[in-house]
Amino acid sequence: MNEAKRKLLNKRYRAEANFKLFGQIAIGLALLFLAVFMYKIFSKGYTAFQKTWIVTEVHYDKELMLIETDNPSLEDLENADYYDIANKAMTRLDPSLPEEDDRQLIQMVAFTYEQEVKNHLLKNPSLLGKIVPIRLTASDDLDQVHKGNYPRDIPEEDRRVNDYQLKIYDMLNERGDILSKFNLSFFTNPDSREAELAGIASSFMGTVFSILVCLAFSFPIAVLAAIYLEEFAPKNKFTDFIEVNINNLAAVPSIVFGLLGLGVLLAVFNLPRSTPLVGGITLSLMTLPTIIIAARASLKAVPPSIREAALAMGASNMQTTMHHTVPLSMPGTLSGTIIGLAQALGETAPLILIGMVAFVNTIPGTPVDPAASLPVQIYIWSESAERGFVEKVSACIMVLLGFLILMNLAAQIIRHKFERKWN
Amino acid sequence: MRGNGTNMTKISAKNVNVFYGSKQALFDVSLDIMDKEVTALIGPSGCGKSTFLRCLNRMNDVIDICKVEGSIKMDELELNSRKLDVVRLRENVGMVFQKPNPFPKTIYENVSYGPTIHGMAQSKSELDQIVEMSLKKAALWEEVKDRLDEIGTGLSGGQQQRLCIARAISVSPEVILMDEPCSALDPIATAQIEELIDDLKKEHTIVIVTHSMSQAARVSQKTGFFHLGKLIEFGDTEKIFKNPDNQQTQDYITGRFG
Repeated sequence: MNEAKRKLLNKRYRAEANFKLFGQIAIGLALLFLAVFMYKIFSKGYTAFQKTWIVTEVHYDKELMLIETDNPSLEDLENADYYDIANKAMTRLDPSLPEEDDRQLIQMVAFTYEQEVKNHLLKNPSLLGKIVPIRLTASDDLDQVHKGNYPRDIPEEDRRVNDYQLKIYDMLNERGDILSKFNLSFFTNPDSREAELAGIASSFMGTVFSILVCLAFSFPIAVLAAIYLEEFAPKNKFTDFIEVNINNLAAVPSIVFGLLGLGVLLAVFNLPRSTPLVGGITLSLMTLPTIIIAARASLKAVPPSIREAALAMGASNMQTTMHHTVPLSMPGTLSGTIIGLAQALGETAPLILIGMVAFVNTIPGTPVDPAASLPVQIYIWSESAERGFVEKVSACIMVLLGFLILMNLAAQIIRHKFERKWN
Repeated sequence: MRGNGTNMTKISAKNVNVFYGSKQALFDVSLDIMDKEVTALIGPSGCGKSTFLRCLNRMNDVIDICKVEGSIKMDELELNSRKLDVVRLRENVGMVFQKPNPFPKTIYENVSYGPTIHGMAQSKSELDQIVEMSLKKAALWEEVKDRLDEIGTGLSGGQQQRLCIARAISVSPEVILMDEPCSALDPIATAQIEELIDDLKKEHTIVIVTHSMSQAARVSQKTGFFHLGKLIEFGDTEKIFKNPDNQQTQDYITGRFG
């Protein structure tokens, strides 16, 4: 081997080594970004899955509850007065506190404390007349203090938790009367103005309904359009034009679809505002081209030899399509559909335009009830000033990401499981 | 190999011209295919023999730009007519392709598909019978009778091609078209298929396109030699191979070109 040739060879090897290195750097950077993103969300959000409780005692005193009968029915208990005993349950934490400062203690629990006291009795009516321990939801400020998210060293007048409340908190904490438990209510409560009570139930259900509506509208239309275009339509200028426009539709910014939903679905058809029905239809406009493109690609991937075999057996075009081509293309179509739905799942802008950004403190039971959706919930909470919502935003992102990962996993599994190897 | 033909013409093609867009693929092809005989079509690649074969069951319809002119009569039926019901035609003219193309379904479903869509079986047992008969005729029954519910594409290449033949004969077509049926198979599988063709001609008229001249000589009674879209010579296989009239045929058969 002469010198020039050896040089050239070395150069080629070097070029390959460099290329590999750059590729590895690129992947490393991508993974790094992902790791930072995940760390940021998880480190901020995991505390939202814990809920802080204050343990105290409540005396279900018939007199204070204004119950006059000896054997009160459930209805009597329902109508009884819980205000005094609930307040007493809190003030008993510090009997030395002058009465006019009661609020200091009461502010340490969520404003639903009276309801919580009441529900506890309704569940166990035998507790009437007894003094029993009870746990009450801590206020979001105290919750943040307990989770260590709240700086204690700033001046008292800048703090939402004052020195007295911190003293009581420390005392309770020492006694073990501050509990930290899994935050079930984050999943079962609708949205709330109070961070300690806010949950994702309404937005989660809103998302589920929207996706179902979106699927119900987009899948049949898209699959029929794809089958017609791929298997039956004549190939001419007009179908080319349609194809170009479907591709254009896929590239239209989602907010435009939101305007369309606002202008057509709400203004012309008068569908109920802020509902998953409207949200789902709007999202289906976005999903439609994705599914059409995926379905056409997987119809194209069915080898022509299968079509020829069926046609040569005397199957009609329709039979060839329905018996052979479409079933063989289904795995690809389905995974494309799931990917389209996963995109729709994370869509925020069109939903804001059709009013799914409204504050909804009920859990929707049907697609025509007002609801939010997970990404919009993230948006709403991220606008809230209260510290308690910061962790909720991250937690909501975690739920949304989990949802997305599940869907993409399903698409992947369908693709792998039903993918056919053509010989 | 002597023919057992009835000496009746099954298919008669007259002045067939085929165009792919502006390109002409066949020029004035006229030939008669005899009933219950094997007719082989030979010639170099791109000579138009497959195009002609696909005229006989109108598979050219699948290609938008393809246009067929001339007359092809099967018995008294004009095949090259707009009014022809291609579904009925293909029920009568089966086809076996170059590459085995069983449906990615079970062996049973592959064979029962034709009888099912054409409503040939009144009951499940009748359908079972048709499947068994077809597989037996295709000399595949012994190999697959215990695994009819396995996927057809899991068989070996030769078995797949015999499955395709079983599928083609399941609807008892009068004519079977074979487009280079052995080109993807090894010599042993090829020999099996050739044996099968010899059997099938008792009940079916067979037209086979082949690249292998020895195969044409072994299985056919009539041979047509195509070159550049023209039918150069057509006649008894023995004559074509031993004493062709045309110099081009002579050159091709002796391997001097092609």
